[in-house]
Amino acid sequence: MLIDAKNVVKAFGAFKAVDDASVAVREGDILGLIGPNGAGKSTFFNCLTGDLPVTSGTVSFAGADVTRLPPEARAALGLARTFQVPLTFESMSVLDNAMIGALLRHPHAGDARAKAREVLQRVGLGPVIDTPARSLGTPGRKRLEIARALASEPKALLLDEAMAGLTPTEVLDAIELVKRIHGDGITIVIVEHIMEVIVSLASRVVVFHQGREIARGTPREVTGNPAVIEAYLGRRKVRHA
Amino acid sequence: MNRFLIPGALLALALVYPLLVQSLPVYERLGALVLLGAIGASAWNIVGGYAGQVSIGHAVFFGFGAYSSVVVYTHLGWPPIAGAPLGMALSVLLAAAIGVPTLRLSGHYFSMATIAVGELVRVLSSTSEFLGGAQGLGGPAIPRTVFDLSFLSATPFYYIFLTVLLLLLGLTWTIERGRMGYYLRAIRDSERAARSLGVSVGRYKLYAYMLSGAFTSLAGSLYLCMFGFVDPESGFGILISVKMVVMAALGGAGQLFGPLVGALILVPLEELSNSLLGGQGAGLTFVVYGAIIVIIARFLPSGLLSLLDRRKVKRAD
Repeated sequence: MLIDAKNVVKAFGAFKAVDDASVAVREGDILGLIGPNGAGKSTFFNCLTGDLPVTSGTVSFAGADVTRLPPEARAALGLARTFQVPLTFESMSVLDNAMIGALLRHPHAGDARAKAREVLQRVGLGPVIDTPARSLGTPGRKRLEIARALASEPKALLLDEAMAGLTPTEVLDAIELVKRIHGDGITIVIVEHIMEVIVSLASRVVVFHQGREIARGTPREVTGNPAVIEAYLGRRKVRHA
Repeated sequence: MNRFLIPGALLALALVYPLLVQSLPVYERLGALVLLGAIGASAWNIVGGYAGQVSIGHAVFFGFGAYSSVVVYTHLGWPPIAGAPLGMALSVLLAAAIGVPTLRLSGHYFSMATIAVGELVRVLSSTSEFLGGAQGLGGPAIPRTVFDLSFLSATPFYYIFLTVLLLLLGLTWTIERGRMGYYLRAIRDSERAARSLGVSVGRYKLYAYMLSGAFTSLAGSLYLCMFGFVDPESGFGILISVKMVVMAALGGAGQLFGPLVGALILVPLEELSNSLLGGQGAGLTFVVYGAIIVIIARFLPSGLLSLLDRRKVKRAD
């Protein structure tokens, strides 16, 4: 198992945003985390990346216990992520943004720059490489998030709603991009609202509801699961004749 | 080659400046003061500009430098400049001691913590007999050897300060182009994103703070060598801290030549107001700095040098 989270609890005061979630991701997998708003999937995601410390439970990555490690140490082990609302380095060029990721494995600026250029070409940001990153729109920023993360040469890439705010055409492009990244041998965990994205990408899905896992399986299996339908749409009222 | 032309010409001008104003001691002194201000502001720029951790307590390092220099003279009889390495070493330790707990704080909270530490040290220094209390301490009245760096003219100081400034800017330039420079700017823009990409945010902030503190301390030692006297206000006063911030911000914080540009404007302005208004001008300095802060914040958040960049961008279109 590349990522192995066991019995993760994340409580904010008395409220358990994540309540005893266990998720394992095999190397080479694309795992989808889905659930309605407030289901705790983003909180769980942030427990995996180290942005939030867990209340209890363990997280291991590539065989190492990373439960107490900060995000930067997990990144160094090969766990990369993107942010739901892109955290672009606003004062830098697109190239320099990607360089911050590349510098992790290439301490010399020249090598890092070469790596950053290569990654930016790969994600389709080649034409805007020298423009200020703040001039990018949402799709460009989402792509830059991915490029930056890839430049750090990760084993696993965790995407937090990478498609939110994109138009349908842009979503299709982004799906293609994620497939290509997966094709390069990178394990992917994707938190997503858009069912279409999950169905076309994920090999396995875990469904969250009110901080707990309510279903897991292939996308087809879970979308047919009554508990999942109930979580998304509510309970069907029994009509009396 | 064109991009070396303007800096080269300016450097040449800086080298011959004392010869141009040879018969005008006021301008010799002014030149030295501009460079000294630029050293302090450039040192601040490493942590305050590049890393975006706005310290408003850098006087604590300046004072450490100035007092180290005067203390080695008063208590050991050494030439004041010999206190510079001591001040720098102490400042690095102090930066670590202040930085480890306070650099965890973000934004305004870090700034406020640095103010608190600065004021605390100022008050403590005025009660310390070892440091001469509220009266302060003086350096050698009559030069014993050339190492006392006591000169009639300001020109030798001018060249000493110029050398130190060039070394500091060279070091900053090297950092700026390397991994640390990129990481510091990433930290300034988004700590969270930087951490997600493997940047040891705490460690790099601390490095920047220690380096910045060391050079600010050196500026303090150089100040003591030139003026031969320090008291709690001229060593640890909050105005010292504010000057560094305002100079760097006026020219362009986080830019190599920003602090120098700020010093070129502010130091002559300050000297002018002092000479025009005499002792009554002290309060006015605060008013002028306040006005400058307001103007920068409203119209020039990236400093004067950003005006040049804007022109460059337009030309590229």
